[in-house]
Amino acid sequence: MGEVRQKKRKEKEKSTGKKKHSKVFLKKNKSSDKRRLNRRGPQLAPSLRREVGQVKGDIESDDYEFSDCSEGETFPGDVYEYEEAAPEEESRKNRRYDTVDNYDYELPDHFKDEDVSSDDEEIDGRNGKGNLMEDSDDDDLKKDDGSHARMLQNITGMPREAFEGKKKSNIVISEAYQESEYNPSRDVLDGNGLISIEDLLNPLQGKPGYSMLRKQIHQTEKKSMALQAPLPKADQERVERKVAYEQSKKEVSKWEPIVKKNREASTLYLGEDVDLGYSTVGAIASEFKPRTEIEKKIASLVRDGKIMEAHRNDGSKLLELNKVSFEEEKDRQNRLAKMRSLLFRHEMKAKHIKKIKSKTYHRLLKKDRVKEASVQIEMDPDAAKELAMKQEFKRAEERMTLKHKNSSRWAKRILSRGLNAQDEGTRAAIAEQLHQHANLTRKMHTLKDSSSSSDESSDEEYSDDQSADESNSRASKLLEKAKEKTLKALEDGEEAPNSGLLALPFMVRGMKKREEAAAEEAKIAIQEFESLSKQLNNSETENIDTETNSGRRTFGSMKKSAPEPRKKTKSEYYGDTDDEDDTEAREAVEYDGDNNKSSLFADANIDSDILCEDSKTHQNSVFKSFDETVRDPGPKTTHEVAIFASGTWKKVKAKDLEKRVDSKPSTIVSSKPELQGQVTKETMQDVDDQSDSDQELMVDGVLSSANNESYELPSQSDLIRQAFAGDDVEEEFEKQKEEILNEENPEPEKPVLLPGWGQWTHVQKKKGLPSWMLKEHELANKKRQEALKNRKDANLKHVIISEKVDKKAEKLYTKTLPFPYTEKDVFEHSIRMPIGPDFNPTSAVGALNRPEVVKKSGVIIKPIEFEEVDTHQKVEEHKQKGQKQKRKNGKTNQGKSAKKMKKGGA
Amino acid sequence: MEKELGNVVAERILPPTEQEISNEIDVKVKKYMRGEGANLEVLKDKKLKGQLSVIEDLYGKSAKAAAKVEKWLMPSEGGYLETEGLEKTWRIKQETISHEVDILSRRNQHDIILPALGPYSIDYTSNGRYMAIAGRKGHLALVDMKDLNLIKEFQVKETVRDVVFLHNELFFAAAQKKYPYIYNREGTELHCLKEHGSVLRLQFLKNHFLLVSINKFGQLHYQDVTTGSMVGSFRTGLGRTDVMQVNPFNGVIATGHSGGSVAMWKPTSSAPLVKMLCHPGPVSALAFHPNGHLMATSGAERKIKLWDLRKFEVLQTLPGHAKTLDFSQKGLLAYGTGSFVQVLGDLSGAQSYTRYMAHSMAKGYQIGKVLFRPYEDVLGIGHSMGWSSILIPGSGEPNFDTWVANPFETSKQRREKEVRSLLDKLPPETISLNPSKIGTLVAVKKKEKKTKKERDAEEEAAVDAAKGITMKKKTKGRNKPTKREKKKHEIIEKAKRPFLHEQIKEEELSRKRSRLSEEVELPKSLQRFAHKKTVT
Repeated sequence: MGEVRQKKRKEKEKSTGKKKHSKVFLKKNKSSDKRRLNRRGPQLAPSLRREVGQVKGDIESDDYEFSDCSEGETFPGDVYEYEEAAPEEESRKNRRYDTVDNYDYELPDHFKDEDVSSDDEEIDGRNGKGNLMEDSDDDDLKKDDGSHARMLQNITGMPREAFEGKKKSNIVISEAYQESEYNPSRDVLDGNGLISIEDLLNPLQGKPGYSMLRKQIHQTEKKSMALQAPLPKADQERVERKVAYEQSKKEVSKWEPIVKKNREASTLYLGEDVDLGYSTVGAIASEFKPRTEIEKKIASLVRDGKIMEAHRNDGSKLLELNKVSFEEEKDRQNRLAKMRSLLFRHEMKAKHIKKIKSKTYHRLLKKDRVKEASVQIEMDPDAAKELAMKQEFKRAEERMTLKHKNSSRWAKRILSRGLNAQDEGTRAAIAEQLHQHANLTRKMHTLKDSSSSSDESSDEEYSDDQSADESNSRASKLLEKAKEKTLKALEDGEEAPNSGLLALPFMVRGMKKREEAAAEEAKIAIQEFESLSKQLNNSETENIDTETNSGRRTFGSMKKSAPEPRKKTKSEYYGDTDDEDDTEAREAVEYDGDNNKSSLFADANIDSDILCEDSKTHQNSVFKSFDETVRDPGPKTTHEVAIFASGTWKKVKAKDLEKRVDSKPSTIVSSKPELQGQVTKETMQDVDDQSDSDQELMVDGVLSSANNESYELPSQSDLIRQAFAGDDVEEEFEKQKEEILNEENPEPEKPVLLPGWGQWTHVQKKKGLPSWMLKEHELANKKRQEALKNRKDANLKHVIISEKVDKKAEKLYTKTLPFPYTEKDVFEHSIRMPIGPDFNPTSAVGALNRPEVVKKSGVIIKPIEFEEVDTHQKVEEHKQKGQKQKRKNGKTNQGKSAKKMKKGGA
Repeated sequence: MEKELGNVVAERILPPTEQEISNEIDVKVKKYMRGEGANLEVLKDKKLKGQLSVIEDLYGKSAKAAAKVEKWLMPSEGGYLETEGLEKTWRIKQETISHEVDILSRRNQHDIILPALGPYSIDYTSNGRYMAIAGRKGHLALVDMKDLNLIKEFQVKETVRDVVFLHNELFFAAAQKKYPYIYNREGTELHCLKEHGSVLRLQFLKNHFLLVSINKFGQLHYQDVTTGSMVGSFRTGLGRTDVMQVNPFNGVIATGHSGGSVAMWKPTSSAPLVKMLCHPGPVSALAFHPNGHLMATSGAERKIKLWDLRKFEVLQTLPGHAKTLDFSQKGLLAYGTGSFVQVLGDLSGAQSYTRYMAHSMAKGYQIGKVLFRPYEDVLGIGHSMGWSSILIPGSGEPNFDTWVANPFETSKQRREKEVRSLLDKLPPETISLNPSKIGTLVAVKKKEKKTKKERDAEEEAAVDAAKGITMKKKTKGRNKPTKREKKKHEIIEKAKRPFLHEQIKEEELSRKRSRLSEEVELPKSLQRFAHKKTVT
């Protein structure tokens, strides 16, 4: 008995000492094991399990034999446990647990638990009793267990071991001897004195599920490591982030090929698979089906057969009702006309009312008018004349009516009352009126006399002039006119006014004086005019002569009598502009006044040198023919033979030419056979043909062969000059090139002494120019040289290539590289091909000009969807795919539309 | 690698005919690729690289398609005269040719003798169907060359120096005694272009719709015939000339002058693009190869020179004098002197022109103009006694593109084409020496700084303008003299401000520059320290 108690106590001590550990480790293990076992083992039907639930709880409680305090407690798997002197359920501090009156495995209330009692030695007897009781209870439990297992076996029909298995492991092996210093327990003898898992496992050997359990334990042992302390939070997060990043990277990188494909695609098709539905109102309307009550009702009414038919029949009748009677229509028109006329009148009235202006307005207007008129009188003689006329008219009117001579009713009334009786205002008004009368009736002499008569006469004369002599030059006309005017003025001046203010003696004296001075002036002027007109007349008379002959006005003929004797020899190689005859000068002025260049322009062409290597007709003939353009027809004394020589041309006087014709051609012609004669004839004809003669030689399109004698041969010296013309040309070209180079890359200015700076001390002279100036000059020179070197024509002696920037053409070139490009070369190569339909076959134009994005308007662009993309796919397929897609889309569209239609129908 | 190998093998295996074809097509593809693609390896931008490679592929496809079209749809090849043994092509006469050719071609050999109305000049439409002739003494006529039908003939009763078709046969311009006129097909005078003056020579730029003329005074006029506006008019400054020709490749006008120089012009600049000394004597004629790279000139010193216009160098100098020169579509060069026509050909293909054919007219005929008829093996000759046409085998382009020029054009097609060409009309600025450079990158030169004087003048002008502003008459105390004065002062200050700002900026810049230069000018021993400083 005592032994038993001892052992019990020990056990209890152990249990209390190890309470924590055992609870933590063993129990946890066990519970997990058990759960596993439960899973692995033969399974109960859920209904049975529910029934068995209570019993199971028993089994579980049995498992925790060492820890009685765990009764009815569910372990949430906490590692740590709150330790209290008394268990919570006992102390009833925390009433989370349902209080159960009596479990059949529970001890009765009166029985005191050992655990609770702190002092075991004090109550030995009680203990013994308690032990006894416990023992009996234990037995009871065992018995109970056994019967329970049997019962389960009966119910489930499973072997008993299935239910007993766990219980066996809990068998307490009692020691043979009492534990003491002399009788150590086996554990102590073995070494560590702890119970290992193997110890616990061994007894299970041979039981079903054992091997599994052992394997698991082995595994856990193998893998078992000491739990490390958790990482600091920052590190932990970093690790987590890293993992997350990897994960997300993988997730994202699967999109890469799609994105790449889209970015490199020349065309993106967006929203291709979206069906936009009906495109027309009609299509929508045709699909309409009534849904709501009202719609259905309306539809039933509208589509009712009877109604439709009635409507069809009734239509014509309805139209008949549209007829309107004649009277009604007439009435309506009348009404409208009346309204219109009323409106018109109203409008007119409004206009009239709007036009009416206030008194002050009119007064101001009048004032303005008067002012303007006064100004005009001063400026314009015509206006003055007009005004005078008006004044005259008014005077006449005034004399007729005597309107202002107190003849009005108002004036009469006032006069009858007596002027003295009136106030000052009225008196002033009367005086004003009288004054006005006086003003109006005063005779005007001055204006009338001078203006009217003289103007008329001058006009007449002017017209006379015109009729008499059309061809008079403008200058002479002006002169004459001026002369006549002055004469007239003189004559006019001699007339003296007989009456009026000007007739007063002192006025007359003053006028005389003035007239005398004016007459003197006029005389001088007339003299001048005469001298001028004489000069003009000299030329004019001749002009008139020719005119009478030709009946036309020709300026060209003036040359005939041109006084300047023209002696031009061949020695003038560079034709001077000054020497050119009048017509030429005139032309030069006509076109631009460009005298320098006019020396260059050639009046005639060299005709073709007749030379053919292969034609046998002409054997190396030296003969040359010259085309001549004869500027002035007929008996013109000079002919111009143009000879190209160093870009200039010269004129040879006719006499010289004639001489030459006399002397040289005769020899030539004589030496040559008839052949050449023929040729000369032809060339002569050619000369004729090419002549741009001013005189119209053609009558009805047929040329009258007039001047065949104009053919000339060039002199020997001319030929030589022509032959050696090249030397000059080259030099000249070089000069030109230099000029242009200087123009496009100007030479830097030579530095000059600075004015003012140290001038009187001669510092500059002594020291020379400042070094920076020299440096600058040198730099500029260098720059220029480089620029010249870089020119395209630097190595081409005979070519000048302009490097001027054409501002108008600038817009045709790219100024900066467009965005994605970084290199000029790549850009220029990429635009080398034209992409228009003119330069590409139709099969390629579409692809070349497809827009970057193809999209239907009004369609929402959806985000890209994942699809497998073959990264090695080529672009060719890409395009095909695009087309396929289109086709597919078409199909899907159809399907979808069908669906939609269905929806619409539903 | 395997694929490549496979390709190689496949190429080897190809039967000889196919091989030949593929080679031929390859050559054509190269032509249509218009140069090489960009080197994409250099590119760092992957997106651009991808896009460019896609585009390049498309280009390749387009070129291939075009090459195939050329190969299979333009099968007719131009023929040449071929001789056996000691026979020479230039000894073959027109009569012998006429015995060999078909009737239609034989009809192209004819002489029209019109002795009364002087030397004739001729012009063909771009499709070669119609011809305009102009007799010096006022005879103008239009001829349908297909059936040799005279469409219209009339007499203007004054000198006519040149005639040129506008964009189609409906209109042509004639350079008459005082002014050039534009007539329509019925001979109705539509316009008198007085601004041009008395014109010696006319040319028409088809793509730009510009009528170009050079007049007696050496003035060059460009007139837009669609709007009538004068696009350009300037003096050549090189004297009177009637040698003018348009370069069909780029629309540049070349004029030959008495000083032996040839100047090339565009309508937007008064200075010649290029001026080259071609001959020591006056230039008598000038012609351009249709590809625009070759120019032929002839001088009074009896030399004909062929120029490479890419390098501006002489390719070949031939003896002979030419009153008129012309290149055919296939590159034959015809020149006429006196009553003799010679045709040179680049028979070896190495740009060395040799004698190909010759033809002499009746004695005494003075040839004024030779002109190849497009799309036909015909050379038209305008001479003093009328006009004639001869057969030059291999001169015309055998395949015509109906979108470019259609000799069998119906009136409807003509109308369509007129509209199309008007829509595609090029602005006059596009005329330049190398039109393929259009669109490329050209660095714009920076504006040169204004001198101080200019700046001062500008400032003064601005201030004067500010002073000249008339002030409003304000009411209610705001019109006080003090306020007015103040306001005036303010306005002037405002006008001055931008100039001051500019000045300040410049000063700052110069200061910075001077600082920089100071840094640079550190003694050598100290330079490394300075460098270090900047690094850290």
